[in-house]
Amino acid sequence: MELTFYIAGAVAILATIMVITRYNMIHALLYLVVSFLAVAVVFFTLGAPFMAALEIIIYAGAIVVLIIFVIMMLNLSEDATQQEKEWLKPSIWIGPAILSAVLLAELIYIFTAMDVPTTATVPVDAKLVGLALFGPYMLGVQLCGMMLMAGIVGAYHLGRQKKKVTHRFLEKEAAQ
Amino acid sequence: MVLDDFLHLMPLLILVMGSLITMLVIAVKRYHKIIYIITMLSLIAAFASLFEIGIGEPYHISPLFIVDGFAIFYIGLILLSSLVVAMLSYAYFEQREERKEEYYILHILATLGACVMVISKHFGALFLGLEVLSVSLYGLVAYLRTRERSDEAGIKYLILAAMSSAFLLFGMALVYAMSGSMGFYEIGLYLAASQQVPLILIVGFGLMVVGIGFKLGVVPFHMWTPDVYEGAPAPVTAFIATVSKGGMVAVLIRFFMQTNGFNYPTMILIFTIIAIASMFAGNILALMQNNVKRILAYSSIAHLGYILVAFLAGNAMGIEAVTFYLVAYFITSLGAFGIITLLSDEERDAEQMEDYRGLLWRRPWTAAAFTAMLLSLAGIPLTAGFVGKFFVLAAGVRTELWLLVVMLALNSVIGLYYYIKIVAVMFSQTNVGHERQALHPSAYLVSGGTIALLAILLIYVGVYPAGLMQLIEALIISIYAPVM
Repeated sequence: MELTFYIAGAVAILATIMVITRYNMIHALLYLVVSFLAVAVVFFTLGAPFMAALEIIIYAGAIVVLIIFVIMMLNLSEDATQQEKEWLKPSIWIGPAILSAVLLAELIYIFTAMDVPTTATVPVDAKLVGLALFGPYMLGVQLCGMMLMAGIVGAYHLGRQKKKVTHRFLEKEAAQ
Repeated sequence: MVLDDFLHLMPLLILVMGSLITMLVIAVKRYHKIIYIITMLSLIAAFASLFEIGIGEPYHISPLFIVDGFAIFYIGLILLSSLVVAMLSYAYFEQREERKEEYYILHILATLGACVMVISKHFGALFLGLEVLSVSLYGLVAYLRTRERSDEAGIKYLILAAMSSAFLLFGMALVYAMSGSMGFYEIGLYLAASQQVPLILIVGFGLMVVGIGFKLGVVPFHMWTPDVYEGAPAPVTAFIATVSKGGMVAVLIRFFMQTNGFNYPTMILIFTIIAIASMFAGNILALMQNNVKRILAYSSIAHLGYILVAFLAGNAMGIEAVTFYLVAYFITSLGAFGIITLLSDEERDAEQMEDYRGLLWRRPWTAAAFTAMLLSLAGIPLTAGFVGKFFVLAAGVRTELWLLVVMLALNSVIGLYYYIKIVAVMFSQTNVGHERQALHPSAYLVSGGTIALLAILLIYVGVYPAGLMQLIEALIISIYAPVM
């Protein structure tokens, strides 16, 4: 079980790195699906089968399908891929990447040097999740509703208007 | 939930109802004035309902919330600031042709998020409150989309806020992995029981500092502040500068009090560095700006540094000083951004220095109020800002934080320069007969009245601080009470 966890975790990290480095949006999305599936396996090995199922149904299923529809509607052409390529030059990402790698190495060191207490895993099934959400954390669920409302109202307002590109960097490029 | 829970959560429930009613009314008919009145009424009702809650014993709504005197004071402060922002918003949005009704829904929800943060005693509640606030702000920052810079500000805020939330969440996960609980008090118990703080726990706290520091806009997490302040509509900028930061300060105080965070030198060291860096970076960068909104953004970074000085004092006096300074800073910031709101026209906000040239001769009262606000930010006597700074210094001296106190004094001198620069521009004579089209006198009446009220409050608190101080002492005493 432990080995499964590490393999799934490694797959998740690799797939997510692939997501952010792809130039083509659809390719990135396919990797995103892989990443979600790997995370679902991680949840499963940690004893949360219900969360694993939700991860697949909601994230890998519904959300990715929605994103694909939006991308299809945006009707991206070759130009977008080209532009992405121009933006993602090594000179731009190499600095932050090195710094992040140093931080990651530190984190890994800390985790391997310390022994984290392993809690006894009781499988968390749908019933336990439901009891927690509608028992002590009921107010939290209602707050989530408020958050979604804010998100929807904001997205509705921002999405309603015609697209207009004004950005300092784009302006400069357009002027050249 | 029992009846008592409803009573103690009444301000929040009223806000939720307010946002729902607003949305339903919009669905029936878009009418700016009615939406505005509903928003005002729900904010006022929420504030009035605070008086129904007794401040005796802290009331626990396990496991997420705690309602005590401290929470009541901060919720009251947040609701009043939100009310002021709403009052300023009407005239500002009335002259813009875009749909303005959704603004009020997001405004109420953002206020709700800040209130949730204030009463949280659990990572879950803290994170949910933070997200309700952040998600509402994404919409608010980019609200006037046809404006230049508004998309830039919105995207910047969205990406950086989401990033900092991820840091906060990972930090919480590490703390939970070690201590086995997410309640502040239980984490405090775990810390007290362990002789040596485990390294992973420190890493977890460090990652949480990233999320907290972002919302407070302190160095080195301040990069978004000037751009977002500049790109957001002026009332939203006032909201970000006050309500959003106030909620985070309150939750930070509660977290430190319940976990005894002040006993750990590592945390103190981190916050000392952040405080000093914020004061210097904020003040020195503000010197180089010519945009009034950006100057105020950098000055807000510096002011959060001042607040951290009092926060680091850690004792009762320090917490009182933080609260007092926060009240003074709220009044002043709301006033300053309120005047920017008042002077803005339909195309852009009045943010260039040139907009203020000779303001004294064109609109003497507005200029006088703005001068008072700027002097309060600089900490000149007879204003609220001076008294606030005095309390902060006293708290610092009491606990012998000499380094921080010296830095604070030094920075106050640097800060004086750019505030006075704006005042000087307002007093300079102008021969350009540039008079803006005044829109509608009655629309400005509310905004003007609000500014006048804030200016009077500013002087009143500056001359007679004892009243406010007594209120603070009476209410926030509950934060020291042993909690279960």
